[in-house]
Amino acid sequence: MATDNETIQTTTSPPVERLAYSIEEAAQMLGINYHSIYRLIQRGKLKACRALRGKLLISRDELLKLLKSE
Amino acid sequence: MRQIMNHYQKPTVQQEQAAVEVKTAFAEHLNQFNASCDAVRDIEGNQSAIANEAFKSALLSCDQNKIIQTDDGTEWRHDLDLSKISSICHRRIAGQIEFAVVESLPLKPGREMKDILNRGDNVREVLQGFIRDQRQVLRLWKDDLNAQVKEHLAEKYPGQDMSLVADSFEYKMTRAISETYVHAQSQSHGMKV
Repeated sequence: MATDNETIQTTTSPPVERLAYSIEEAAQMLGINYHSIYRLIQRGKLKACRALRGKLLISRDELLKLLKSE
Repeated sequence: MRQIMNHYQKPTVQQEQAAVEVKTAFAEHLNQFNASCDAVRDIEGNQSAIANEAFKSALLSCDQNKIIQTDDGTEWRHDLDLSKISSICHRRIAGQIEFAVVESLPLKPGREMKDILNRGDNVREVLQGFIRDQRQVLRLWKDDLNAQVKEHLAEKYPGQDMSLVADSFEYKMTRAISETYVHAQSQSHGMKV
């Protein structure tokens, strides 16, 4: 019974909103290839930050901003 | 001396396995990266012919040339494609011809960015600027992918020295970018990834 309750709690808890995404995830979200993502970063159209080991991450806000800008 | 010799010894079984695993994990990245390197190299190798063709197209321009309106509101006439999403275009202002490399990037929910990447009145210089920028993009990509590989190895093989695997991966990407194979080869650690 306790296990059932735990399962219910887990499945009904609200999804955690991600703050940042990897290059692969960003490419998937925008529907473009990796080269285009790096091109946008190089041109300053998409701001990226570096994680601890130097990997590039793109914030959710940046992605939304790019999709909404006209 | 022994340490130096060990450096050039064959990789361990674990390092070989890690190298295969990394190659699989980053296969899509590597495929796209190599294809992009080839594309940039093709444009670089044919830049004179491309510039001549674009210039000719601009001179002979007629109403049939497709009009592209960029996000800044300016209108350009299409001359030739550099890739699926970028093309050389021109417009006439005050009796002169201005050239631009325009990128039409379709983003997922129905939005398309039409951006001017490089512009100027000399089509060769515009093309050279475009190639320079593309090489910067490839270097940015290479640095990021190397960081991803190092992170992947550190998480998957904690406490083990996988620098040989990471270095070999980096070498492969450097070689893909580099025009001079011999220079890149001197950084090799003798292991194929």
